[in-house]
Amino acid sequence: MSKKTTLEKFIGVWNTKTIVGVAIGAALFGVLMNFGSIRIFTNTSLTTAMVVPVIVGGLFGPLPAAVAAGVGNVIADLISGSGFWFDWSIGNAFLGLFIGALPLYGAYIEDGIFEVKHMIIYAILCVIGCGISFGLVTPFFTYLWYGGELTITLYQSVVGSISNIIVLLVIGIPVLKVLASRNSRGRNLKAE
Amino acid sequence: MNNFIINLIPGKTFLHQLSGTTKVRLFFVLIVYLIMSFDLRLILPVFILGIIGLISLRPKLKSVRYIIIFVVVMNLVNILLYYLANPHLGMLYFGHETIWFQFNDYYIVTYEEVWFLLSRFLKMIASFLISLDFILAITPSEFAAGLYSCKVPYKICTIVEMAFRYIPDIARDYQNIKVSMQARGVELDPKKTGLLKRIKQNILILIPLVITSFDRIGNISNAMDLRGFGKGKKRSYYAEHEETPNDKKVKIVYILLGLFVVGYIIGRIFFNVSEVWYPF
Amino acid sequence: MKKPVIEFKDFSFRYKSQTEDTLKHINLTIYEGEKVLLLGPSGCGKSTLAHCINGLIPFSYDGECQGSCKIASLEVVQSSIFQLSSQVGTVLQDSDAQFVGLSVGEDIAYALENENMPREEMIPRVYQSAKMVDMHEFLNHVPYDLSGGQKQRVALAGIMHDDVKILLFDEPLAALDPMMGNDAIDLIDRIYREQKKTVVIIEHRLEDVLYRHVDRVILLQEGKIIADMTPDELLLSPLLKENGIREPLYITALKNAGCQLQPDHISHIQDIDLEPYRQQLIDDFHQSIPSKPQEPQDVIIEVKDLSFAYQSDHQILDNVSFEIRKGEKIAIVGKNGAGKSTIAKLLCGILRPTKGQILLKGQDYMQYSIKEIGGMIGYVMQNPNQMIVKDMIKDEVALGLTLHDYSKEDIEKNVEEALKMCNLYAMRNWPVSALSYGQKKRMTIASILAMKPDVMILDEPTAGQDYRVYTEIMTFLDYLNKEYGITILFITHDMHLAIEYTDRAIVFSEGTCIGDDSVFKILSDEDIIQRAHLKQTSLFTLAKRIGLPCDAFTQHFIEHERMNRHE
Ligand SMILES: Nc1ncnc2c1ncn2[C@@H]1O[C@H](COP(=O)(O)OP(=O)(O)OP(=O)(O)O)[C@@H](O)[C@H]1O
Ligand SMILES: Nc1ncnc2c1ncn2[C@@H]1O[C@H](COP(=O)(O)OP(=O)(O)OP(=O)(O)O)[C@@H](O)[C@H]1O
Ligand SMILES: [Mg+2]
Ligand SMILES: [Mg+2]
Repeated sequence: MSKKTTLEKFIGVWNTKTIVGVAIGAALFGVLMNFGSIRIFTNTSLTTAMVVPVIVGGLFGPLPAAVAAGVGNVIADLISGSGFWFDWSIGNAFLGLFIGALPLYGAYIEDGIFEVKHMIIYAILCVIGCGISFGLVTPFFTYLWYGGELTITLYQSVVGSISNIIVLLVIGIPVLKVLASRNSRGRNLKAE
Repeated sequence: MNNFIINLIPGKTFLHQLSGTTKVRLFFVLIVYLIMSFDLRLILPVFILGIIGLISLRPKLKSVRYIIIFVVVMNLVNILLYYLANPHLGMLYFGHETIWFQFNDYYIVTYEEVWFLLSRFLKMIASFLISLDFILAITPSEFAAGLYSCKVPYKICTIVEMAFRYIPDIARDYQNIKVSMQARGVELDPKKTGLLKRIKQNILILIPLVITSFDRIGNISNAMDLRGFGKGKKRSYYAEHEETPNDKKVKIVYILLGLFVVGYIIGRIFFNVSEVWYPF
Repeated sequence: MKKPVIEFKDFSFRYKSQTEDTLKHINLTIYEGEKVLLLGPSGCGKSTLAHCINGLIPFSYDGECQGSCKIASLEVVQSSIFQLSSQVGTVLQDSDAQFVGLSVGEDIAYALENENMPREEMIPRVYQSAKMVDMHEFLNHVPYDLSGGQKQRVALAGIMHDDVKILLFDEPLAALDPMMGNDAIDLIDRIYREQKKTVVIIEHRLEDVLYRHVDRVILLQEGKIIADMTPDELLLSPLLKENGIREPLYITALKNAGCQLQPDHISHIQDIDLEPYRQQLIDDFHQSIPSKPQEPQDVIIEVKDLSFAYQSDHQILDNVSFEIRKGEKIAIVGKNGAGKSTIAKLLCGILRPTKGQILLKGQDYMQYSIKEIGGMIGYVMQNPNQMIVKDMIKDEVALGLTLHDYSKEDIEKNVEEALKMCNLYAMRNWPVSALSYGQKKRMTIASILAMKPDVMILDEPTAGQDYRVYTEIMTFLDYLNKEYGITILFITHDMHLAIEYTDRAIVFSEGTCIGDDSVFKILSDEDIIQRAHLKQTSLFTLAKRIGLPCDAFTQHFIEHERMNRHE
């Protein structure tokens, strides 16, 4: 492991690999948004897509995760044709910064490192991230751009946050665990 | 495998034939234009333009019908919720209320409220129509080229383009994985399983999908490096044709519109121009 | 005086994560205008050598180089990948990864776009390159409308611009059906001749590459060059067999007949002088080998007048009927998009017929759910990674049973049995990541076997694998078939596989069943071969040239091979 500063880890190395990784992440996000989601409220749905930025973050860092989530959301809107909702895209990108922060606290999925303490930090960040992104960022832009009744917007945000927290914890943690243990190369394996 | 709504090859109509730069810039100006106000005088023309645009693009009715119905219904529900949450929005925005009829003391219907909700509904639908026109008219490569022309770094533009390139591949993998899991006994029929179980089973599909998708990264980035990706500070686009006379005409339109938007926003911030309009 | 373009001098390379050198003291010179084939078992370092030539090492892979490697007089370690990529054009193995543009035109233009070439200059250049590979009428097509062979052509056009000197192909045939493979080799040869390039090909399928002239073959084993000779010399030597590489079939046939091969054009079936061997081949042919006729078993799957369409206006399968008996080994063959995978999905109940019937053991299968059919018919996908969900081998194999609510003891028992059958029992507690590709493949087979299906359908079981893994998988399936009476259906493009390991072939073309007979009968029918994009093996050519009946000759060959294998 080379010694990178926190800022470098945050920004990620924007080489061809990262760009492709973010693009694939965005594509995966778009596909899952359209196939792998269960709609529960106007503008919000329970979707496995939210896990994608977590993995992009685990591999490349928080900023790539945010870009993957933001672009992924735009792409999901593009392929489904339901119009652009930039307020939600920005919220998702913002959330990507939190849930994709794994390398910042030492969880390196590629090297198979994801322990209980990382799980706890991850869970806390998910809750904070959802709170800030859907409780502040998205409602702010919704209100600014489309106006209307704050209560409803906030209500949507609460539903959005909760459903995303559920997905991020219930699906995210097992997926991260599997990916990490898959990448930790079996050492000292013995045939029995 | 390509039942998504976006085209990969440009069509033949007027809007299709514009260059990526023109489409992207026109789109952004129109979206900002729609976002900036609730004035029905400003919204209505764009709403009508959106409908004309949609018809001129001659989309396959089957593919857009569902989306249009879905978005309209969703927005109607939203409007209803808005009303239920606060029937006195008219007061808030216009400072006066004229009762039309009354359910009880709190739930009254005022002309102002109806007017505001109508404006907002048309604003949402107009943004949707403009987005839909844009989506139907543009190809991913033109989108990338258009963004590039707006000084977005080409590495970011590439992300958009590449994502579109691999969506069909990933969608195909998704179907394959689903199929093989079903054959091994995963029940995906929503009628037969509860929500929690469905979430659990989604994990079973997600893991192989994530792994196969991210496995390609190395190969793809090698292929790009070998063909000189990232060589220079600038790049050109094969898909982006030169400005045609039509592009020049539309350019005048979006420049004028852009100036108007800037003026209006300055007016709103410094000169107290109202964001709503109530004629009665 | 020939000019060297690739020069390795005592070159070694070690990946950062490895403890041993992957390439060891390579000394190799390739001259301008040569066409060279790089051969070797999986994992011997062929791709690593290729990466050194095109500059991905050290640009993209970290590691340690020793010695010198010069490409077109550029020292690799000191030059950038951009300098090298204007000298070396590489076509990667995975043609899907290679295709980075959104349409054919864009993909061919990709390198030019990166050079920031103005569009007016780009258009004629792209057209010219496309014309060279005969794809100029497809410039507006998107990648998933193209067949594997067409993608390969586009890939080739995409690297042709900058007057590259060297063309490098990493396993160009792996994903292609037999006829497209031939076309690809033809195309490479034509470009090689017309453009006077230096060509380096890496490939497992020796016979297919030798279909056109090759100057030299380089054999790599564990990172060392162990042979550098002409194809004729190599075919005469015992090196191929020793290193687990498949000989061309006709060579095996000649050797089986006891012929002493002469170093005279033997690398090409059309040019070889057969006179010295004629009599021996004929004598050997008449020496019959006892074959065991099999008594017919019960029918377990019956497909009657089956039709299917994904969209109502486009029929994919049209009035297909066939029967499958217990214990049969059947190859399902046909060109890309013929509907082979679709029929597999129909048999598994994932798709249901729009017209017609499928009977399982005499019962209409519409009454069963996918899950129930899954217990009877197992479906193994081409890519094992698309099936693996758990991180422990044991858990992965148990997954299907758990989902079917088996009791704990039953699960334990079945899993143990399946793992033992697949020779994976000793590794049952390993993480999946510790397995090689071939082992992963076996594990996915085990996870299907654990459910004790009567029938297994395997989609392209051996695509892109080297001969050793290939033989391992196929021998294992053969064993399952014999010992446990499991009926096996192979979907495959590989005619060798079909000939050697199956009894019967069902041929699809454009959604109809155009043939259903023993493999050698099918392969001696010119019409079917044409329509289904198959290719006659070199055995047919050999038989034809000496005037023996083709199908009987092939049958004789297979029985001989089976006998050899069983010894
Ligand atoms: N990026 C890498 N990091 C570390 N080791 C690697 C890397 N790539 C390959 N290796 C190792 O180097 C050896 C040679 O690999 P290489 O890919 O060159 O084999 P190959 O001959 O091309 O095999 P195949 O026919 O399967 O493609 C293998 O043992 C492999 O495990
Ligand atoms: N999910 C789908 N929806 C619509 N059309 C499909 C779908 N899957 C396959 N097809 C079409 O059905 C036809 C048959 O496809 P299938 O995958 O069965 O071919 P195949 O014989 O397996 O080809 P290959 O050798 O390339 O695997 C093709 O034309 C394909 O485009
Ligand atoms: Mg290789
Ligand atoms: Mg198939």
